[in-house]
Amino acid sequence: MTPSRPQFTPEQQAEVRRLQGLYPDPQGALLPVLHLAQDVFGYISEEVEEYVAGLFGLAPAHVHEVVTFYTMYFREPKGRHIVSVCHNLSCHLAGAPGILDHLRRRLGIEPGGTTDDGRVTLLAVECLCACEMAPMLQVDDRYEGNLTPETVDRLIDQLQ
Amino acid sequence: MPKLTIDGRPLEVPPGTNLIEAARRLGIEIPHYCYHPALSIAGQCRLCVVDIEKVPRPQVACNTVVAEGMVVHTETERVLETRKSIMEFHLINHPLDCPVCDQAGECWLQIYYMKHGLYDPRMVDEKVHKPKAVPLGPHVILDAERCILCSRCVRFCDEVTGTSELGIFHRGDRSEIGLFPGQELANKYSGNVVDICPVGALTDRDFRFQVRVWYLDTQKSICPGCARGCNIEVHVSRRRVHHAEGRRVVRLKPRFNEAVNKWWICDAGRYGSAFVDGDTRLQAPARRDGEKTLEVAWTEMIPLAAGRLRGYRADEIGILASPKLSNEDLFLLRRLCDALGVGAVDYRVPPARPGDEDDFLIRADKNANTRGAELVGLGGADSRAILAAARERRVKCLWIFCHDLLASAWPEGEVLDGLLGAETVIFQGTNANPTSAYAHLVLPAAAYPEREGTWTNFEGRVQRFRQALPPLGRALPDWEILGRLLQEVQGAPRPARAEDCFRDLAATVPAFAGMSYRSIGDAGQLVQTARP
Repeated sequence: MTPSRPQFTPEQQAEVRRLQGLYPDPQGALLPVLHLAQDVFGYISEEVEEYVAGLFGLAPAHVHEVVTFYTMYFREPKGRHIVSVCHNLSCHLAGAPGILDHLRRRLGIEPGGTTDDGRVTLLAVECLCACEMAPMLQVDDRYEGNLTPETVDRLIDQLQ
Repeated sequence: MPKLTIDGRPLEVPPGTNLIEAARRLGIEIPHYCYHPALSIAGQCRLCVVDIEKVPRPQVACNTVVAEGMVVHTETERVLETRKSIMEFHLINHPLDCPVCDQAGECWLQIYYMKHGLYDPRMVDEKVHKPKAVPLGPHVILDAERCILCSRCVRFCDEVTGTSELGIFHRGDRSEIGLFPGQELANKYSGNVVDICPVGALTDRDFRFQVRVWYLDTQKSICPGCARGCNIEVHVSRRRVHHAEGRRVVRLKPRFNEAVNKWWICDAGRYGSAFVDGDTRLQAPARRDGEKTLEVAWTEMIPLAAGRLRGYRADEIGILASPKLSNEDLFLLRRLCDALGVGAVDYRVPPARPGDEDDFLIRADKNANTRGAELVGLGGADSRAILAAARERRVKCLWIFCHDLLASAWPEGEVLDGLLGAETVIFQGTNANPTSAYAHLVLPAAAYPEREGTWTNFEGRVQRFRQALPPLGRALPDWEILGRLLQEVQGAPRPARAEDCFRDLAATVPAFAGMSYRSIGDAGQLVQTARP
């Protein structure tokens, strides 16, 4: 849960300053700082946007531009695990639509949705650069390929 | 300075000039949406492409600065083809709802399609739909579908007002202009985004659906809202009076003046013209007789008013002139005071609350001509003392211009005692107010779009406003009323036009020496004392 007024710890603030120091213009650190905020607060709420804007001296509207432009910032609470199914060309030809349908039925949610117990967020995404293992998906920061409905079931069962 | 050639014509421009501005000097208009001379370069719309010799591909003119020996072509076949393609891109998701769009007639999509588009559309897919008729703030309404994402409004809020309310959210064909959630576009200059929006995405809540723009007449004018004197255009609807619920002045637009307001005006000025067509307008000369108010003809009123003025000793007359009057009005009033020998004249009445001011355009002094009133050299008395004299029955005839003394910083009791203490109260102004209710004689004055004149702004810049409309009812310009009174009092021939008054003013008052309507022109002219 995002607290009503987001606040980084002193260590996290030091990390923000480190990231800002890496770029000729500190504004360059906006993306990594937003990722940090997402890790810390769970998702990028409007309050988080305002907080991050304050760290950079930017208008909240301009942070909102960045957050809405990119797909990997979550603007709503997400599940404990993110399952991203590739639906691009190679995976599509190798059976991704069937995998996605199976997950829809198994989890009872549409891509973009989160299960009621907050366990899994399901996404349909573009190419993840792993065509050799098509059809594939990404669970959190791990790739899983050569999927069948059975292997997908086993994967989902392992998620807490 | 770099020398270059555009479409075969040589020219020399200061270094750093971009190609749109350079071409403009030759009268060549390079089409563009996102470029605006007041804003940073975005390079967003790509419409301003030109060919430059020895450069393999067309370049955007907005983001290319001149260089020595550059040879530019703005009308090659490749440029024309590129423009056409870019127009096609811009119109892919544009709703083409021109028949119900308020921008129609002044829309740069329409204008450039006719000039540079004229293709057969190839899109077969359904258009992307976005929010329509979203109020962004008190004055501006957004239609996200019509937006071509030029980002002028975003840059305006970032760079001119520094308020940064707007952004472009999402991406690709789903990109749309919007506010940060919970914010509203309510800065003091928000109406300007409507002016700079090249399409119908941002329209004016006050003006929209009032009247089609091609029925409007325009006239150069000056904003009366404060001592800055922003240059404006008055847009009036005379050909479709039934369209705007009787409003004749339907909108004000800023008019470029490098030295005064650049491209902008504030919202208070932009939406401050309602009084011109308001219900409180004084439309006929009137005489109050006990409880009854009788309308009288000017031919009756002028001798009546002049008779009252002559009927008192000069020291029994007190005049509260207004810093909203024009230089011409004030000068004639000065002549009338001289003729009558009246010395108790002042124009300063403090407002109940100090006006707001910022470091951009808005001035705390909400009068257009305070500087002019100073320079014309009217009276030298103290307005509050004049009122006190009326209270003490020393001043028997009180002549008030425009002011609502009951809305001033003075205590209400003091004002009422003064108004009730005078035997004769003459009120001259455009609109009735609580003070005018105490007047025995009411002289209805024409509002600024109904007459000609000049105001002197706080910097000493004399600026002309012109007549866009006939006066409402039987109202007359102040200088005309004063001229008729002067004629009645003194037998002097009266001026036929405001310009005649100004000529006399320029010949009499050193600050205005050598000035004329011609020399003032559209850009204004500084008075002698303000010239460097």
